[in-house]
Amino acid sequence: MKKVLALMLTSAMIVTTFVGCGNSAAATEPAATTAAEEAAPEEEAAVDSTAEESVEETTAETSAEDVYDHTALENAGDITLTMMLSGTETEDDFDTKILPELVKAKWPNVTLEVTKLPDDNYYTALKTKLASGECPDMILVQPKYAGANGCYNLASAGYLAPLNDMDCMSKIGNLSESFTLDSQIYGIANGVSILGTYYNKDMFDQYGLKEPTTWDEFLNVCKTLKDNDIQPITMGDKDQYVLQFGLYQLAAAEIYSENAAYDDGLYTGETAFTDAGTWDHVLEMYAELYDKGYIDGAASMGTGSSQAIQQFIDGEAAMTFDGSFNVTALCAEGTAGDFARGYFPLPGDKGVLTAEICAGAGPAISANSKYINECKELLDYWYNGESEIWDAYVATGKYTVTYGNGSDSLNALFTPFVDLMDAGQGYYWCNQAWPSGVAEEMEALFYEHVGGQGTTIEDVTKGMQFKFEDLSEE
Amino acid sequence: MNKKKSLVFSKKVYAFLIPALVLFLTFWIVPIIQLFYYSITNFNGTNYNYSFVGLKNYIRVFQDGSLINACQNTIIYTALIVVFSNLLGLGIAMLLNTEIRAKGIFRTCAYMPALFSAIVVGFIWSYVYMPGNGMLATLLSFCGIDGNKVNVLAGFQSSLYGIAVVDIWKNFGTTMIIYLAGLQTVDTSLLEAGKIDGCTEWQLFRLVKLPLISATVTINVILNVIAGLKAFDYSFIMTNGGPGKATETLMFVIYQMAFVEQKMGRASAFSVVSFILIITVTVLMLIYMNKKEVEL
Repeated sequence: MKKVLALMLTSAMIVTTFVGCGNSAAATEPAATTAAEEAAPEEEAAVDSTAEESVEETTAETSAEDVYDHTALENAGDITLTMMLSGTETEDDFDTKILPELVKAKWPNVTLEVTKLPDDNYYTALKTKLASGECPDMILVQPKYAGANGCYNLASAGYLAPLNDMDCMSKIGNLSESFTLDSQIYGIANGVSILGTYYNKDMFDQYGLKEPTTWDEFLNVCKTLKDNDIQPITMGDKDQYVLQFGLYQLAAAEIYSENAAYDDGLYTGETAFTDAGTWDHVLEMYAELYDKGYIDGAASMGTGSSQAIQQFIDGEAAMTFDGSFNVTALCAEGTAGDFARGYFPLPGDKGVLTAEICAGAGPAISANSKYINECKELLDYWYNGESEIWDAYVATGKYTVTYGNGSDSLNALFTPFVDLMDAGQGYYWCNQAWPSGVAEEMEALFYEHVGGQGTTIEDVTKGMQFKFEDLSEE
Repeated sequence: MNKKKSLVFSKKVYAFLIPALVLFLTFWIVPIIQLFYYSITNFNGTNYNYSFVGLKNYIRVFQDGSLINACQNTIIYTALIVVFSNLLGLGIAMLLNTEIRAKGIFRTCAYMPALFSAIVVGFIWSYVYMPGNGMLATLLSFCGIDGNKVNVLAGFQSSLYGIAVVDIWKNFGTTMIIYLAGLQTVDTSLLEAGKIDGCTEWQLFRLVKLPLISATVTINVILNVIAGLKAFDYSFIMTNGGPGKATETLMFVIYQMAFVEQKMGRASAFSVVSFILIITVTVLMLIYMNKKEVEL
């Protein structure tokens, strides 16, 4: 009896083990590995040809259609479309409440189910759903390589449907570049996000200061403020990502204005982070702010980003580097009262003014969706610049739109940046073109440098290059 | 000759083990096997079109300086947790094992921090350490010291100690409860006999109580070693590994690799290495502590 029982249990263990292992392979719809390859791990696993063909077919089908069916929703019968986004749900949330209602009003036969998850949960849920072949019809993707839902990573894995034939693409224009891979557009930009330098206009006026147009002028502004016992810049360096807010502005002026294809060169080996006069120069310029006490490193590295915003609105510092996404918090009333704010792009030492302006994360359509045309019609209506959904979307105040209704009422703080972008001086945020992890390495090493840990600027650029090569390797 | 059937434990009962075994295999053993499997691939967590890369991930883990830095930080963190959590836990357990009034309230208070989630504790202590207006800075200001100059989480040398203090504060209650249980098993007649023989309080502790609770010491030390080697919460919540890489622990680096750098294969290799390290340290500690128990 014992033997029989032991045999049964052993069989159960073996079966369960294989079922468990098998699941991971079976769930790999876009590009699964075969059981034979699993049995021979020493051999390079080739892509399952059937799965690959199906992805290619989907791409070819969509590309072949010059115009998708613009009446797909009307003719679809009663259908339910699903959408998954990241973010925090608010009262009367646009995405989860208003949008489904407006879709229902426009197409009574269509139900839109929207799930909104906090960022970390979203990434986990997205990975799980992609792996199990149950991806929602529409998902939120980030431009280029940014984050776990970076458009390029998902598109190259065959998870996203091309959107070239959508009407709204002509209105979105250049912003689609950040969602374009091999001439195929895979995502819709949700307006723009800007990085710049917020400043207290009243303080500037008090000391006769103007918006600087060169790096030397900027340093003079800082010096004047410091000489008058005013902390020139506050940063929440405890949240290390804030380093990117100021540094990328300088990089745009110093590197990308001279070589817009700098990041492409990183992948081909034509450029490197270690090239003299590029990132070493930018990092040295930024480090100068810490060396001269214009950013108080000892205090800022123990201060979080929200605390730095509070210090700015309380009038404890004259400037802070931050994004358009934090404009509401930075324009709120603090203990310093309702002072006037300004926003300028950090100038380079050659006097070049550039704007760090990028496409915001936006929706994409799953390549495995049964309703690709229906989703395209819905998104086209949403992003046409004049529909009810568009108006409600703009009314949320969360998005800086560059076309259609609402684009003329752009926050005055952002106008110079949009003008620079229109003049061809707008550059995406650097980390969007790098594999996720390079920016984090840069932050850690740079803070070691300004924290006096013996890390040199050369070490920082070498570390960035090492990490880039390591992470961009297939 | 047939063996006698047990009337109490029928062999059919073994069948009831199957559901538990299946669950255990599916959610514990299989994922661990998969961890080893993914550690020899270049899987990125999203794209299932991955390849086998042999031992490349393991080689990179050792080439990359992050393993050494994370090991150093984790060992310091573990040593702090083991020493101070046990000293504090044992000290307070001994105090609360004496005949004092309202000791139930004191015991509850001492255990209270263990009931909060790490997230809550992390946020509370972020404000304790906040320069300028934080609790620590305010207290120091009362003593005439400039609180703005004390920035525990911003210091490359102090941040790791800062988060270790938080972990000790949160978890010493659990250590204390185990010591308390151990101390209550000490036979009072032995203590009385010691007193009659003229033992001082220190001698009673060193020569009577400590040998009798040596098994409890072993449990507490091992539990704290494991907790220290698996430290992640406060590096993630309070400092995000910073400043620089000053508070990156083994588990934090695994998280970074898997969920920030999207190198699931590399993270799996790192996990396997960490797993071996943790098992080795724990087993060595267990052997050492067991020997000490016998010596005592």
